[in-house]
Amino acid sequence: MAEQCFRMKGTTLTSIVLDIIMFDPDEFDKQLAAKVASAPQFFTRSSLIIQLSCAIDATAFELLVTLCRKHQLQPMAVKGQVGDLRETINDLGLSDISQSKATESELSPADESQSQTQKPAGAKPEVNKTRVVARPVRSGQQVYAEGGDLIILAAVSEGAEILADGNIHVYGTMRGRALAGVKGDTEARIFCQQIEAELLSIAGRFVMQETIQTQCWKKPAQAYLEEDALLVTELG
Amino acid sequence: MAKIIVVTSGKGGVGKTTSSAAIATGLALQGHKTVVVDFDVGLRNLDLIMGCERRVVYDFVNVINKEASLNQALIKDKRTPGLFILPASQTRDKDALTMDGVQTVLNDLSKDFEYIICDSPAGIEQGAQMALYFADEAIVVTNPEVSSVRDSDRILGILQSKSMRAEQGKSVKEHLLLTRYNPHRVATAEMLSVADVEEILAVPLLGVIPESEAVLAASNQGAPVILDQDSTAGQAYSDAVRRLTGETVEHRFLEAQKKGFFKRLLGGK
Ligand SMILES: Nc1ncnc2c1ncn2[C@@H]1O[C@H](COP(=O)(O)OP(=O)(O)OP(=O)(O)O)[C@@H](O)[C@H]1O
Ligand SMILES: [Mg+2]
Repeated sequence: MAEQCFRMKGTTLTSIVLDIIMFDPDEFDKQLAAKVASAPQFFTRSSLIIQLSCAIDATAFELLVTLCRKHQLQPMAVKGQVGDLRETINDLGLSDISQSKATESELSPADESQSQTQKPAGAKPEVNKTRVVARPVRSGQQVYAEGGDLIILAAVSEGAEILADGNIHVYGTMRGRALAGVKGDTEARIFCQQIEAELLSIAGRFVMQETIQTQCWKKPAQAYLEEDALLVTELG
Repeated sequence: MAKIIVVTSGKGGVGKTTSSAAIATGLALQGHKTVVVDFDVGLRNLDLIMGCERRVVYDFVNVINKEASLNQALIKDKRTPGLFILPASQTRDKDALTMDGVQTVLNDLSKDFEYIICDSPAGIEQGAQMALYFADEAIVVTNPEVSSVRDSDRILGILQSKSMRAEQGKSVKEHLLLTRYNPHRVATAEMLSVADVEEILAVPLLGVIPESEAVLAASNQGAPVILDQDSTAGQAYSDAVRRLTGETVEHRFLEAQKKGFFKRLLGGK
């Protein structure tokens, strides 16, 4: 038998959702140009899910996709009010995911402006990027620092989720969920000024609020892995 | 250019419409030409509280659909000079408001008014997002209880990510208005205290409106409670309006709990 050519694997990936509230080609072009210019490193060649929150006809939809591509964004799928656009979506080489479930998070301005400060790759020896967020992370929002550390200078609300490939620091009250080392870095740690978290996780191991409450509730604390056990200890 | 202020909350029934009516009236009483716009299409509550329900001929949706001009739809308040109401439609559903339509109407109102107060529907979905999209400032109405605080937190997240200003990389100015505050129930720990709510939401406090029977009486009469200056709620709304226009006014009607609490609250900022 011949050698196996491929394997099928499942994956989840982070992508930007472009939520179309209304479509006016000129205005869209202008606003998208401004948005991309605001954080080129972040947006350029980003894969994109188009969310149709308004009804739109086939011609307009084609134009919308063309404009996205013009601004170096790469639409890959469409959801929302897909209506009679199925054929057009197919013709454009996109997939219709209006039936599939996805969880979404806000892409807060803090997220985007942050990426502006990222140095162009290759200019200097690669230093892990740190992402700094100065605003509160509110319930329902999610912030992810890919490839580096995450520093939050304000509170993280109950119902909010912060994630990093590296370490997480929270200099406000930490009431939400924090997941460090999400790509498997068992050395990653979480540091909190005041811990009231719903969940802490490092490299897939986690502790829930009930456990944290018995340890250093409302105190400055750090979480880290020791021989596969997630420990939460008071700082200082 | 008018200042557009949305009155929003996430959770329903916390006092958005009561507050919109009171604050719009308060601004007009200060001499600012003000319009209060009902975004709660399908329910139509604001005109009842403003006592102009019998004078509604055309509404917000009619103006958007160009079935009536803005001047035909705007209702001039009987009591307070410089105050106008743009009522919502009772017969349409929420989808009747379009982003373009809303923008056009707000732009037109902007030319004539100093303040545009947008009374948001409850929830965090499209109707509420439409009401907050064009806002320069937001008054987040919160009751001193966990579920209301949580919803306020969510709406604050949406304000700073899904509003027009957020999309332009700017921020929407936030104000916290704590309503239906009952110091006795705070003392018995049935309710969160002002300090608790401020701590969780981290938004500057515009005012604390006490729970007051005058609110229901006022809405039955169709006269915003701010006109009842004998009531604590009316006085608290007046204070809040003065803070909104930049004055520094001490917070009242909190009633002493622990010593030091007042000091912390008043001297803190
Ligand atoms: N300070 C107060 N004291 C006593 N009752 C109050 C107070 N504020 C509001 N209420 C009452 O709470 C109820 C809800 O108020 P209101 O209609 O203003 O809330 P809302 O947030 O606009 O509601 P909805 O989400 O349905 O639009 C009303 O019956 C009102 O009279
Ligand atoms: Mg209401």
